[in-house]
Amino acid sequence: MKAAVVVYPGSNCDRDTYHALKLTGFDVDYAYFFDQDLSFEGYDLVVLPGGFSYGDYLRPGAVAARENISRKVKEFAENGGLLLGICNGFQVLMEMGLLPGALLQNEKGKFICRWVDLVVEDNTTPFTLAFKKGEKIRLPIAHGFGRYVKVGEPRVVFRYRENVNGSDEKIAGVASESGNILGLMPHPERASEEILGGEDGRKVFLSIAEYLESRGAEK
Amino acid sequence: MSVYKFMIDVQYKSNLRDPRGETIKRVLKEEHGVPVKELRIGKSIYVEVEAASSDEAKELVKKMCEDLLVNPVVETYEVRSL
Repeated sequence: MKAAVVVYPGSNCDRDTYHALKLTGFDVDYAYFFDQDLSFEGYDLVVLPGGFSYGDYLRPGAVAARENISRKVKEFAENGGLLLGICNGFQVLMEMGLLPGALLQNEKGKFICRWVDLVVEDNTTPFTLAFKKGEKIRLPIAHGFGRYVKVGEPRVVFRYRENVNGSDEKIAGVASESGNILGLMPHPERASEEILGGEDGRKVFLSIAEYLESRGAEK
Repeated sequence: MSVYKFMIDVQYKSNLRDPRGETIKRVLKEEHGVPVKELRIGKSIYVEVEAASSDEAKELVKKMCEDLLVNPVVETYEVRSL
């Protein structure tokens, strides 16, 4: 199982994500924005990590979404590759037009950094197979721009139990129709070991591993 | 070729809450007694472009708004020639 963690200037959850993937048994590489020869061929999973790519200039994720490396990420997903966007990575996915909607400044204008309770609404995506439908989980959030604005009827995967940031219908994470792209504001990588305060996030990575193994990916 | 100057004003769509604007409005009303009815904070982007004509320059600005500067899902914009 091969995974790539994309590093944009200003990404800051790349190492945590790398660690969580390693822990789950992935071979992991960093994919740096400046690597012109980079290719995602042979990879099973690409992750866009959290952070503040390009300092959130213009809009969070707007500049990163238009990078050369993001065009390759898009191609990878359009060919059916698994693509996960966490926090700023979710914002990038939306700016790339790969997931519907937009993420605006939290309703109360505050940066929110805390653990939140969530519900798993859809356990049929490759990212949520290991959860039960309706399972209640806890993950940390850390964002200033997490207010999800709904467009059409998105495939909702995670919902906040309390509306922490003013999102439409308490939406915390959505998947593409085909299910191979998931974006979420909470940080599963920060909840992947008991020492961090919880292990619920680990199940996202375990789900991906389970999905890939069922599809015959090399261990 | 000439240089054309523009100011692009970008705002959240009117149905979306603007927490910064709401805060400033509240402070103006409560602390300064100003009867503000509505206050919304957007952003202004100043650009200069080189083009053969003013029409061509306007087209370029429109394109940059659509490609990057504005997110049509949640924002509206207006371009002023300076």
